[in-house]
Formats: sequence, C-alpha cells, structure tokens
Amino acid sequence: MATTTASLSLTSVDLFDDNLSITTSNTLNKAGLTEGLDQTTGLNKTYLTATTNVDIITVPGATKDGKQNFVYICNSSEIASEYIVVSIGDKVIGRLYAGDFMWTPWNQQAAHISDLEIAPSVATGMWVEYMIINEGVVLASSADS
Amino acid sequence: MATTQATLTIGSDITDYGFSLSKTMTMTKHTTATRVGDGLEFTSGLVRRTFTSTDHIDLITSGAQNYGTPTASDSNAANKIYIKNTGTSSTDFFEIGLGTSSGSDTATTDAIGGTHLALGKLYGGDWLLIPGHLKATVGDITIKPSTAEKMSVEYMVFFE
Repeated sequence: MATTTASLSLTSVDLFDDNLSITTSNTLNKAGLTEGLDQTTGLNKTYLTATTNVDIITVPGATKDGKQNFVYICNSSEIASEYIVVSIGDKVIGRLYAGDFMWTPWNQQAAHISDLEIAPSVATGMWVEYMIINEGVVLASSADS
Repeated sequence: MATTQATLTIGSDITDYGFSLSKTMTMTKHTTATRVGDGLEFTSGLVRRTFTSTDHIDLITSGAQNYGTPTASDSNAANKIYIKNTGTSSTDFFEIGLGTSSGSDTATTDAIGGTHLALGKLYGGDWLLIPGHLKATVGDITIKPSTAEKMSVEYMVFFE
C-alpha cells in the first residue's frame, strides 16, 4: 500500500497585524477507506503553443465516479502576465498566473463533463506541469483512424 | 502590499523510486502589460463552519460586493481559495462544487447547463487550494456534506 502525504503551509508576516501561519497535512486515501491512493500519472511537463482549451485528462464514456483523485497543476511560466484558465466542464475554476499552482480533489463524475481543461493566455509557448494521484481512471479506447 | 506564500509539499512511495515535490508560490494580484501584480492584500480570514444536515449550500458566494470591488472581481482576478475538512472520518466527506446550490439538491446529478458541477470530495483531513474566479456570472463555491452528522470545514479566501 502506498503512502502519499500532501502538506500545505500558508504564511504571511504582513497580511494581518499579526503573523499568519497555517500548516496542514493529510495522507491521500482511496474514497471511504484508509488505504492509500496507489496510481499516478507522474509529473507531466508540457509546452503549449496555442490558446486552445485542451483536456489535461479526459473522462471517457465510462467513469470512475466516486473514486478519489487529487490533481496538481502549475503554471511554470516566468512571465508574470501569462496565465492559464483552468476549467472543469463548463465551469471556470480560475486563473493560474505565472508561478501559481493548485491542488484539488477531483471527481470523475461524468464523461467529458468532468474533464479538466486548461487554456493558455498566449500562443507564444507556455510550460505547464500537472500530476494526478488517483485510485482509478478509464483510459480512452485506442483508435488508429 | 502584503506578501503571502503558499508552499505545497508532496512525498510518496507510490512508485518504486518514490518522489517528492515542493512548490512555493507568492500570492499576487494579476499582472497585465500595464499593471504589476502586487501581493494579494484582502482576505476573508480563516472561517470555520459547522454543518448538521446534508443540504447543498453556497459556501463562498461570488459577486462584486462580496470579495473585492467590482473591478477586482472581474475575470482577470488571481484570487485563491483554501478549504479544509477538519474532520477525521475516512467515510464522511464534503463535496465541493462550482455553480449555484439549490437547497437539498444533490451535486452528483449535474450536467453542463445545470446549476452546479462537482469538483471533488474532501474526506477527513483533506484540503484544497485553488484559484478563485469569484465572478458573479461564473458561480459560487458550493458544498454538500455527505452526512447529517456534525462536520466542520475551514476556509479562507485571498482576493484582489
């Protein structure tokens, strides 16, 4: 059984009059179990050269609705004004500007509707990193034509 | 201008070689060709809410006057949202969604064009950190407990 731990630290010395310091950590388990998530895409790094909205992972006809998944997405651009719009289905989650990352659970609720999508703000090339740690995905059927 | 940093650290033996990842971001306002994004300086503070029903509700309501000025809540904003299930249960969870809740409606029957779409589930101890669109026409952050047993969530919004 795999053990994966995700920790977050939120700190600021000047957001409030007093210091802000929040630290949390959790072990990533399968839905409803105390057994660790045991599959991953690994850390993907991709270079996008169009502003087209693309799926970073697709939920095909069959789903793993109810299974637990965690997703990491990072905009690796070093140009502050460049961003990616992150969406699930037709719902925009938000924008990740250069250096921003997100970490979220993800439910493969419905085919294609639950696809995770990103759209770069520029076509001049942007690096994006992403990783999924999960307990199950259904891969799209292969087709040669 | 405030400087707020978020650091994510992941460690795992999920592969034979194991892996670790550490990433720090400084939370800034959005930057454009004519505008430099200073640090995010507004926040909801750390909010704690306790639930005792399975009703699906809006946890973070978007809209011009809730988080930021009308200008800052437009689609450019680089807001951030932190949510944590403070419980310890491995079976009870909060389902987090995007859109608009409708009372006891379930978030698991969504479809494009529906009122809300499930993003994911936070079991005991789970947390998320996501960008927050917070534009009125996009929708709220919704939440639906899986049980009517007492459950609590903490959240914090950092916004422009």
